[in-house]
Amino acid sequence: MNRTYLASGPLVWIATIAITTLLLVASAKALFLAVPFLFAIILYYILYPVVRRLEMSGISRETAAALVAGGVSLLAVAVMIPTVPWLVGQSVSSEEALGRYLEGGRVLIDRTLEALESQFGFLKRMDFRAEVGRKADEFGSTFMKAQLAPALLQAAMQLPAVLLAPFLAFFLLRDGRRFLRMIASAVPNAFFERTVYMFDRVHQTARNYFQGLLKHAVVDAALYTLGLWLIGISGALILGIVAALLAWIPLIGSALACIMIVLAAATEFPSDPWVVYASVGMFLFVRFLDAFVIMPLTVGRSIQMHPLPTVLMLFIGGTVAGVPGLVLALPIAGVVSKVVETVGAIIDDPRLHARHRFAKLLDAKRINVDLRL
Amino acid sequence: MFRFRKRQSEHTRIGQIHRLGLFATLQPKELRVVNGLLHERRYLKGEVIFDEGEEGQALYIVFGGKVLICQQGEPETGRIAEVGEGSMFGELALLDDSPRSAQARVAEDCLLAALSRADFNDLVETHAVIASKIALQLARELGQKLREHFVAMDARPL
Repeated sequence: MNRTYLASGPLVWIATIAITTLLLVASAKALFLAVPFLFAIILYYILYPVVRRLEMSGISRETAAALVAGGVSLLAVAVMIPTVPWLVGQSVSSEEALGRYLEGGRVLIDRTLEALESQFGFLKRMDFRAEVGRKADEFGSTFMKAQLAPALLQAAMQLPAVLLAPFLAFFLLRDGRRFLRMIASAVPNAFFERTVYMFDRVHQTARNYFQGLLKHAVVDAALYTLGLWLIGISGALILGIVAALLAWIPLIGSALACIMIVLAAATEFPSDPWVVYASVGMFLFVRFLDAFVIMPLTVGRSIQMHPLPTVLMLFIGGTVAGVPGLVLALPIAGVVSKVVETVGAIIDDPRLHARHRFAKLLDAKRINVDLRL
Repeated sequence: MFRFRKRQSEHTRIGQIHRLGLFATLQPKELRVVNGLLHERRYLKGEVIFDEGEEGQALYIVFGGKVLICQQGEPETGRIAEVGEGSMFGELALLDDSPRSAQARVAEDCLLAALSRADFNDLVETHAVIASKIALQLARELGQKLREHFVAMDARPL
């Protein structure tokens, strides 16, 4: 009677992909809720060990959660008080700075094309450098209005929703376990152990993924910062942190980080292309380390999904929900796959259903014991 | 009023847990942590709690009623043990995911509390002292059962 606890096969894949897609569409429609919830989950997994430690020192779960969430909120306010005026001051010059970076990039392209034209005559005859220069100028002038400003506006619109994250994290910390116990208490006895098992798998997957993601970002940020500092690019810490955070966006994040680093290098050292080449080399080296060492040691196989549906989910996530879809696709798919595998095994187990039917009959008999005609 | 009742019921349950061998060495605050991990389940007479061969996920504590441990599908002829109020069964599930060695059926309507392996593993990571106390008691209880088993084997007529 040794029965499997997990279902597998094409139906599980199809159900996982279908449910994940639906959830991603829902997330895209309710981004104001999905974004703070995502941040709240990340906060939850950061703060969870602290709450447990406080609990062990004799403080109740409610008080520990309130203390930790309150402490984080106070810390956030303490950080924001000096940061916001600084950011407002920076934003005045940010357009100018961005223009400077784009100009740096344009100069880099121009010099590279000039070198290419001197090597290949047909490029010179095509007036390739001038043509690309015109396109680059066009892009530079329209990029701010057409692409960047709306993207920044959309990000700014999410800011108030992000402030909800500490509140959601507080309730997750305080009532998360109680909430799961409440759900488990509603599950019939026959399915109880499987449900507990499913909760554990979902919790492990989410915890491994988000904690792994944080560790991954810290190591990546340290490596980028060190590399940029060694090359001599100023603002290495900020650039390193941004590049590491961009890596959270699958597929396009790395490309954006590379462009950012190249632009920074080209702007700071316009007459020295070797700094740009060194930056690109450093970036590729960190990506290589990331793919083969850091990633397997941090996020690793936390999702435990086959690469094929994983890649498929990334494309679907990007298509149905844009950048948030890319970020959310993997954790949602990982959690959904665990639920589908366990629920699939429950559906596929006739003995569990028989036990449940028997329990219902016993209950009906108990209820009707004195109602026989 | 409701809060008072809740505390009183928690207090009663902590008292019941404390009387169990597995949790006998825990301090009151540690018992409160363990109590927060327990799932309360109600079963009717005749209901199957788990089957032989099923992967064990939880240990059960009997808060009321009786549970029969028997060979799969043979509650009459394959009786192995009867577990009453204040006792527990399925404790091996805390250690690994090996299959259950027998079937557990309800002999009298009962109220059980389940401690899942996942929660116990979580306890090992976050409350190592509590987990080590439970693990030590578990080892003692298993040792005792093993000794009793050997004594029974020796006493059995050849």
